[in-house]
Amino acid sequence: MLPALDIVYWPAVVDFKEDSLKARPDGDVLVGFVEGSLRTNKDLEQAKLMREKCQLIIAFGSCSCYGNVHGLANQWDIQEAIDRKFTQAESITNESPKEPTVHMPGFTSKIVPLDEVIKVDAYIAGCPPKPEQIISAVQFLLGQKPQPMADAPFCSECVLRDSGCVLEKGVLCFGPITSAGCSLKCTSDGKPCVGCFGPSKAVDARVGKLTDMVKNADSLSSGDKKNLYEFLALFLNVPLMAGFDLAGDILKQVKKKGTPQTPLANLPSETEQVASTIMSYLRDHRDFTEISTVCDTCPRIIGSKSTMTRVKRDYEGLPNMEDCFIEQGYLCAGPITRAGCGGLCIRVNAPCSGCYGQTEWNVNQAERFAEVATKGFNVALSKEELLSQMKDKLGFSEKFTLAANKNYR
Amino acid sequence: MVKEIEVEPVTRLEGHGALHLTLGDDGTVKDVQFNIQSTRFFEKFVEGRYCEHIPRITPRICGICPIPHHLTPTKAVEDAWKVEIPEPAYKLRQLLQNAKQYSSHALHFYALAAPDFLLGPFADPALRNVVHVINKMPDVGAMALKMMDFGQKLCAEIGGKSVHPISAIVGGMKKPMDEDARDKFLKQIEDQVEWSKKTVEIGLKVVEDYWDVVANVGVVPTYYVGMTKNGVHDIYDGDIRIVTPDGKKIDYAPQNYLDALGEHIPPHSYATHMYYKPAGYPEGIYRANTLAMLNCADKMATPLADEALKAMRAKVGTDVIHHTFAYHWARLIELVESIEVIATLLQDPDIVNPDCKTLDVEPREGQGVGVTEAPRGLLLYNIWSDNDGICKKANLLVATNHNIAGIEKTLMHVAKQVFEDKALEGLKLPDPWIK
Repeated sequence: MLPALDIVYWPAVVDFKEDSLKARPDGDVLVGFVEGSLRTNKDLEQAKLMREKCQLIIAFGSCSCYGNVHGLANQWDIQEAIDRKFTQAESITNESPKEPTVHMPGFTSKIVPLDEVIKVDAYIAGCPPKPEQIISAVQFLLGQKPQPMADAPFCSECVLRDSGCVLEKGVLCFGPITSAGCSLKCTSDGKPCVGCFGPSKAVDARVGKLTDMVKNADSLSSGDKKNLYEFLALFLNVPLMAGFDLAGDILKQVKKKGTPQTPLANLPSETEQVASTIMSYLRDHRDFTEISTVCDTCPRIIGSKSTMTRVKRDYEGLPNMEDCFIEQGYLCAGPITRAGCGGLCIRVNAPCSGCYGQTEWNVNQAERFAEVATKGFNVALSKEELLSQMKDKLGFSEKFTLAANKNYR
Repeated sequence: MVKEIEVEPVTRLEGHGALHLTLGDDGTVKDVQFNIQSTRFFEKFVEGRYCEHIPRITPRICGICPIPHHLTPTKAVEDAWKVEIPEPAYKLRQLLQNAKQYSSHALHFYALAAPDFLLGPFADPALRNVVHVINKMPDVGAMALKMMDFGQKLCAEIGGKSVHPISAIVGGMKKPMDEDARDKFLKQIEDQVEWSKKTVEIGLKVVEDYWDVVANVGVVPTYYVGMTKNGVHDIYDGDIRIVTPDGKKIDYAPQNYLDALGEHIPPHSYATHMYYKPAGYPEGIYRANTLAMLNCADKMATPLADEALKAMRAKVGTDVIHHTFAYHWARLIELVESIEVIATLLQDPDIVNPDCKTLDVEPREGQGVGVTEAPRGLLLYNIWSDNDGICKKANLLVATNHNIAGIEKTLMHVAKQVFEDKALEGLKLPDPWIK
């Protein structure tokens, strides 16, 4: 796809200088991928410049999404970090070393995620994001996805249209507001439509039933609740950016935005209503965790023959390849980390360290881990015992996300 | 009138830097600054971390060379805790380090360096990039991509991820290589060796074409820093070696690095200025990276690469080479060595041996030093552990950082050649390959 792109600024690869970007009219560039954490004043300036010049900004990678490991520096006053590097390092030989200041940008006091500095339109998390996600995002931007909005809704060509409609049986189905023309035809297997083909221009009469169901979301089954989440992610176009695996930080968007904002224009009012009802539901339920975690995609056995009786350190012994790390005694951030990576670390026998971000925000992640681990896994420790055996709680549970956790501001 | 020239940012650079050049009213070069504008304070925020987790944090220092940033702190913690690793782990790490060297050197040559030579120095900046090279020379482009892809996939196979690997652990490796995967890579070796040779041919043609530039621009005598194992070129294990401008070689065990490596904090760059301590600053400024490594080596570790090193020394006429533009040439010699090492190790049964981790590892209080040679230069981690294996402090001397002062010194030399001696005017330049 490279030849299809007109790259106008990418210092690591292409020779355009900053002046050439500054010289462009505002909004002249279709899309900007902003990577890296915001550690220096220059980083802030560059982020703002990108926002001015680009119509769409993608927070690219866990640095711009969450601050990444650099955010761990927020534990200290920035001056302590400056002193360690520029005046105290053992190899320094200056008689009175000082922080460099000539043609230097200076440092921000704390690292914050990109969306606290500029408006962000989409997120691609991961450290690094999987190549498939990047390709998927770029293909989308090149106009290969999504399908254009179809006139007719999915119901118009559903095999269960005349008898056996799953929605009428009380299963959440987005057929009435979703574009016809897909090849999956989930209802052919008796499954509901999750809305993955995007909204349609016209809606089916059954939309009333759908609206009623989402208005009473509390009474939905847990499977249906998960579909709510997936639908909204699709509606906001986030998974399209992120490879259809919920890796875009939809939850963060939902928590922040008051109203649904989809890149698709002129939606039927019924569709808007369904989406905004779901948005409010997700936003108002702080404990909403019907979101895939790394454990959901992990091939290891949970409920294995192993049981955690004490917290083991990663250097101890060698875990077997079959049983859950936690049950073998090791700290693994899988249960508190969003799915999307496909379990790359686990495949080489290393526990998850959380680079795709959290499934719940602004809570004490170490406590959340201890809570989840002691409830859903073979762990013979109490929550308190587990916590007391974690010597580096922040480093384990917030390695990539400390900067995004408002509890630590 | 004093004139300031600003290059902002320096492009095709793996980081954020600018260049400030000041010319006096008589046209003489007054000042050259290479301003590296970012740092993230890894040395601070690894404090308080589990020592064995540091190798899962520090790869984020560099997306191009995360593997050395994974292996080197692992070695440092092993040094601090006095942990020995099994032979299969040692070989797996060597293989991983060389897989990275291979893909990084291919990437550097084709994506970062080649556009300058293939399009020529006066090409339109909009076109002077790897995308244009791929469009105009699709065969070479495809070969380059397949070389990078092989290295990256091998990194991913052993490291778990090609960028930011996770498979090394204090005491060894988490897992041996899969036999099926090993066989898959072995099948591609023949092609890869061929393509490496072809790349060297392209490189030599570029050197011939630009010989006037190579031999006359940026020939700067400096000290050099690198790593050798018993004098032989090695990128995973060995002693620090310093080479003086007149070719004297001095070895330092990693633990004694503070006797050799001084760090001067300049007023104008977050990346600090490294130099050879006994020679003082700025006299002792050294250069790192590929040419420095070759200047350090008595010989290369593999036959084809050693032959290429001998040919290079014969062509230039000296053992210590100060020609800045020979860095690319040196990189291709290292590229050949890496694929030869990969070929040998892939045939070694140890890499699929499950005995790749020392099982009884105990933390202890102390400090350890780990050194490897990253694709951009010497990489050193000094880590202090407490009794529980929690990191008390760390000192990191990272690859490109070793080269910053040397680069600035070279820039000053070249700026004088350009602005004072007008050295560029008579230079013989070839017709660009891509017009």
